Amino acid sequence: MIQFLVKRFIGLIFVLIGVTFITFILGYFAPGDPIRDMLGEHFNLVVYNQLRHAYGLDLPWYQQYFNFLSHMFRFDFGFSYKYTNRAVMDILKDGVPVSAELGFWALILQMLVGVPVGIFSALKANTWIDTVNMGFILILYSIPVFVLAVVMQVVIIWFDQKTGASWPVSNWGTPWAYDPADLSYKVIPILVFAAGGMAYIARLSRASMLEVLKQDFVRTARAKGLLERVVIYKHALRNAMIPLLTVFGLLLALLVSGAFFIENIFNIPGIGYETVQSISDRDYPVIQATVVLFAVAVVIGNMLSDILYSLVDPRIKAQ
Amino acid sequence: MDTKDKNPDLSSGVMFPDTSVVPLEIAELAKPEHGVETVPTPPAIEDEGKKGLKKKSPTPLQDSLRRLRRDKRAMASIGVIVFFIVLALIGPVIYQHIGGLYHSDISNQTIGPSQYHNPYHQELDRQDEFLSGQYWLGTDDLGRDMMARLMQGILISLAVALLVEIVDVGLGVLVGVLAGYYGGWIDQVLARLTDIVFAFPGLLFVILLTGIFGAQADVVFSTIPIIGPNGNARLLLVSIALAFVAWPLMARFVRGQTLQLKEQQFVEAARTSGTSDTQIILRHIVPNLFSIVIVASTLNISNTIIGEAGISLLGLGVQPPGSSIGLMIVQGQGLIDTHPWEVLLPSIVLALIVLAFSFLGDGLNDAFNPRSKD
Repeated sequence: MIQFLVKRFIGLIFVLIGVTFITFILGYFAPGDPIRDMLGEHFNLVVYNQLRHAYGLDLPWYQQYFNFLSHMFRFDFGFSYKYTNRAVMDILKDGVPVSAELGFWALILQMLVGVPVGIFSALKANTWIDTVNMGFILILYSIPVFVLAVVMQVVIIWFDQKTGASWPVSNWGTPWAYDPADLSYKVIPILVFAAGGMAYIARLSRASMLEVLKQDFVRTARAKGLLERVVIYKHALRNAMIPLLTVFGLLLALLVSGAFFIENIFNIPGIGYETVQSISDRDYPVIQATVVLFAVAVVIGNMLSDILYSLVDPRIKAQ
Repeated sequence: MDTKDKNPDLSSGVMFPDTSVVPLEIAELAKPEHGVETVPTPPAIEDEGKKGLKKKSPTPLQDSLRRLRRDKRAMASIGVIVFFIVLALIGPVIYQHIGGLYHSDISNQTIGPSQYHNPYHQELDRQDEFLSGQYWLGTDDLGRDMMARLMQGILISLAVALLVEIVDVGLGVLVGVLAGYYGGWIDQVLARLTDIVFAFPGLLFVILLTGIFGAQADVVFSTIPIIGPNGNARLLLVSIALAFVAWPLMARFVRGQTLQLKEQQFVEAARTSGTSDTQIILRHIVPNLFSIVIVASTLNISNTIIGEAGISLLGLGVQPPGSSIGLMIVQGQGLIDTHPWEVLLPSIVLALIVLAFSFLGDGLNDAFNPRSKD
């Protein structure tokens, strides 16, 4: 077990170095000179050189990369190019709780809805209920999240205009607060955000459940005369849940890419929104920081699900 | 080459796309059966096979196509895809010849359909109109024809998908086969690369790349003659980025398949009879990759189309005045409470295209790998 963990951990470090290196080198070769832009018409060679030195831009690339890494371990992503003297972390600090909240509830919802829907469909396999259900799930899974988001907005606005209600279609409210007013902001984006992953989990748990129901031990349990309820919920369900552990990292990746769209379409001030803003401002340190943050989240999610999987199913270690 | 001449039954008889997808033990078990089945009827080679045979049994490809034809959902998807391809390719040409002359009040000129059905032409006093005889799908907030812009956007989506798929399949098959067949350092590099690509959400990389180099790409790529300065230049960068994150997955599929194929007896037979590695790869391995590559690339097309639309939606892809489905969505989104049609139209079309490719991919998977179902 220890050996497995160490191996996974080395793999993790390798991937992190790869990800940070890509992020760094793209920023390093970025066109334009941020310092020159920053100075604008007040350009002065002495100040220019001083600033370059202050930002560490006069060092060779490997030293810059090393600095980038060592600062990153201290959650220090340097200073924003656009808002001079504002640390990047400071800018991101407002966005992180919002994005985390969005992702947290979406994950919970995906598990709470996706798993039962998939299991239900597996139990009704090859009936019309299953066909309709899985058809719907496949559509939900395939449709891009931003299409779902704008269609949802159209529906809400139409609903508002018909009934005179005033459900908002943008903004977020206070992070981690759940007054009725806050909820009205949050429910729809979270639902839309969760939809793709929910469908994915439903498909996966259906397939997994069907696989388990074919196993010998289920037949044995039935042959012993156990109640169908006991067979399914006690014997089959637990085993069917195991493969779901492996998708945690994948779900996170899905959520990360979804966050850009959801936050931009619903005007939610999370990190995805801030990233897109900073792209149009060419504020590279902010872009690099968000990319690294998101990537680290996904990598750690992957690692967690690997470890959980090996705990639940010891056979996996052997590979 | 020589193997095939000496023993045509062996090399073509095992060309079942599905044999190789099952785990090896099953494949071993299944093989004698296939051998018995196929020995009396050498398929594929028609002029040789015609004589002395009562009935031709279908080749594996014909078998798969027959299964595909029976799949109504997949066939409907093919219909939708063909419709959109035709619409995007020849739609604009026809559309620009339909319609009478129109007297524009703003420029005080009389213009024909070749102008007002042009995706870039703005008719500023005809903003946000609903469907009409002149503007079949209405106009957007700058008085541009939505139908023309939509066809342009579909063309962009499909062109990007094609470009990405060419790179994806080319690189994926090349690296995957080499890694699977020879192993060694190529395999190691591929494994690490796929690790990173899996960890690094693809879209994030595309956003990073287009975010940093987008403006420069506009300048550099718009000098290329075919692309020109119409706002589409950045798409080349988007395509490169999308292809870059897509191919390692393809390579991994191909590698897995190659690993299984190279243990099969027909490859062993070829090697025993002195066929060179290059010949084995080109004649025995690559043709057998057909099913896995076609399924994976069809499924990847919908990801690519979503990716391009998404990147354009975030303002990082096609630049105005160019048109893309993603750009149309984000432009329509600004008018969502007064003119929902302008956002619904591109959204629905995008959903249709994406669903068609997903369904087709699923159908192809069922047709080529019937054993993978449930």
